[in-house]
Amino acid sequence: MRWLRLHGLAMAEAVRRLLAHPVTDLFSIVVLGMALALPLLAAVALRTAGAATASLDTQPHVNVFMALDATDADVKRVEQALRAQPGVAAVRFVSRTQALEELKATTHLADMLAALDDNPLPHAFTVRLAGGASAESVAGLRAQWARLPKVDSVSADLEWAERLGRWVRFGDRIVVVLFTVLAAAVAFIVGHLIRLQVVTRRAEIEVSQLVGATAADVRRPFAYHGLLQGLLAGVLGLAITVAVGRWLDAELRALTPAYALELKVVLPDLRMWVAIAAGAGLLGLLGAWLAVDRELRRFALVRM
Amino acid sequence: MIQFSSVVKRYPGGHEALRGVSLAIAPGEMVAITGHSGAGKSTLLKLAAGIERASAGTVLVNGQNLGALRETALAILRRNVGFVFQDHKLLYDRTAYDNVALPLRISAFTREETGRRVRAALDKVGLLGREKAMPVALSGGEQQRLCIARAIVNRPALLVADEPTGNLDADYGRAILDLFAAFNQVGVTVLLSTHDQAAVDRLACRRVALAQGALAA
Repeated sequence: MRWLRLHGLAMAEAVRRLLAHPVTDLFSIVVLGMALALPLLAAVALRTAGAATASLDTQPHVNVFMALDATDADVKRVEQALRAQPGVAAVRFVSRTQALEELKATTHLADMLAALDDNPLPHAFTVRLAGGASAESVAGLRAQWARLPKVDSVSADLEWAERLGRWVRFGDRIVVVLFTVLAAAVAFIVGHLIRLQVVTRRAEIEVSQLVGATAADVRRPFAYHGLLQGLLAGVLGLAITVAVGRWLDAELRALTPAYALELKVVLPDLRMWVAIAAGAGLLGLLGAWLAVDRELRRFALVRM
Repeated sequence: MIQFSSVVKRYPGGHEALRGVSLAIAPGEMVAITGHSGAGKSTLLKLAAGIERASAGTVLVNGQNLGALRETALAILRRNVGFVFQDHKLLYDRTAYDNVALPLRISAFTREETGRRVRAALDKVGLLGREKAMPVALSGGEQQRLCIARAIVNRPALLVADEPTGNLDADYGRAILDLFAAFNQVGVTVLLSTHDQAAVDRLACRRVALAQGALAA
C-alpha cells in the first residue's frame, strides 16, 4: 500500500513536472516522435511490399516445353522422368490445346490466334520444386531436363524470386539499423533532458536527501518523467506513421487494378502499437535512470 | 542514544575538523556543543545525524554503526533525525506548508495524515497561520521556526540544531531555545551547537566544549 502510494506520488509529480514546462517537453516529444516515425514508416513500407508480393508465386518452378512433333509416348516418358526426380513437388501437364485455350482466355490475342491454321504452342510441363531449392540445383535440373528426348527448351524463373528475397532482407536490415540508431537517440535525448532537470532541481534534491530521501526516492519522479516522455514520443511516432500510411493508402489502392497484385498499406497492428509505445517508454526510463544516477554521483551528499 | 568513539573527520584537502572525539549522549538528554567557529561543532552534528561519515573512529546512533551502513540505510536513518540547519535549507519555490510536508512526502504519508502532521508542527512553532506563505515572505526568525517545524514533522527521537540562534536577535533567540527545551521535556533527545554564551546559560543543560576539533576541558 505504501509502496503503491510511493509510486503514485512519483507519477503525479512526473505529470506535474511535464505540465509545468509543457513547451520544452512538447518540443522534445515531437522531435523524438518524428525520429521514431522514420523507422516505423520504413517498416510499414517493407510490410506493404511484403504483403503485395506474398500474393505472387515465389516458389521456384521450371517450365519444360516439348518439341512440336512430340508424340504422346514422348510426353509420357518425359513426365515419368520428371516425376522420378527427387526435389520435385508437383508436375502439371499443360497440353497444347489447353495452352491455346488459356492464352485465348487471358490475353487479347483471341482474334489473331483464331486466324491461325495450326496451334503454334507445344505441350508443356510446369514443374514445381520443393521449397529451398538453390540456384545451382535448379540450373542442374534445367540442363538435365533439356537433354531429355523431344524436349525443346527448359526455362527456370528462380532468379527474380531470389532477387526479391534479397531486396526484402536488405530492407529488413535497413529497418533494424534505423531502429537501433533512433532507439539510442531516444535514450540519449530523454537522458539529456532529464539531466538538465536534475541540475535545475539540485536544491530540492539536496534538501530531500538531507531529510531522508534515498537515491531511489530521488530517482523515482525523474524515471516516471522519462517513461512518460518516451511513451508519448512512441505514440506520436505511431500516429505520424498511421497518418502518412492512410494518406498513401488511397493512392496505392487506386493502382491495384493495373497490376495483378493486391496493393494496400499495411499499418502497424495492435501488437506493434503496444510494443513500440512500451519500447519507447522503456528507453525514456533508461535514459532518465542513467542521467539521474550520473548526476547523483556527481553531487553525492554523504562523502567519506 | 549517540556514542562517538575516537572520531576523526578529515575533509578532502586535509583539513581535520575533528581529531579523536569521544562522547556519549543518553536518550532524552539535551546537550549544547559550544566553541568558537571552526571548532568542529557543525561537523560533530552532521556526523551524529548521518549526514556525513567519519574518517576514522565509530559513530553509533541507537546502537547502529553509521560507518557500516549503506547509503540507503543511512538515508532512512536520517528520517528519524530532525536537523535544523544553520542556513535553513528551505526550498524557496514552494509554500511553508510544502516545505514542512517534504519529509512526509518522501515517506509516502497519506494526504490526510500529512495535513494533520504539518499543521501540528506549524502550530508548535507558532506558524499555523502562515502555511500558504512563501519562505521569502517570512522573517529570519520565522524561517528558522519553519526549519524547526520541518525537523519535527516526522516526530524524530533526535533533534539536532546547528547554531539555531545564530542570526536572530535576543528575543527571537530565547523563544527558539525555549522551544527546544519544550521538545526535550517531552522526551526528545536534543543536540545543539552554539557559540552564544547567553544561550547556554539559559538552557541549563549539559555542555560539551570543542576547541580545534577536540574536546576542551
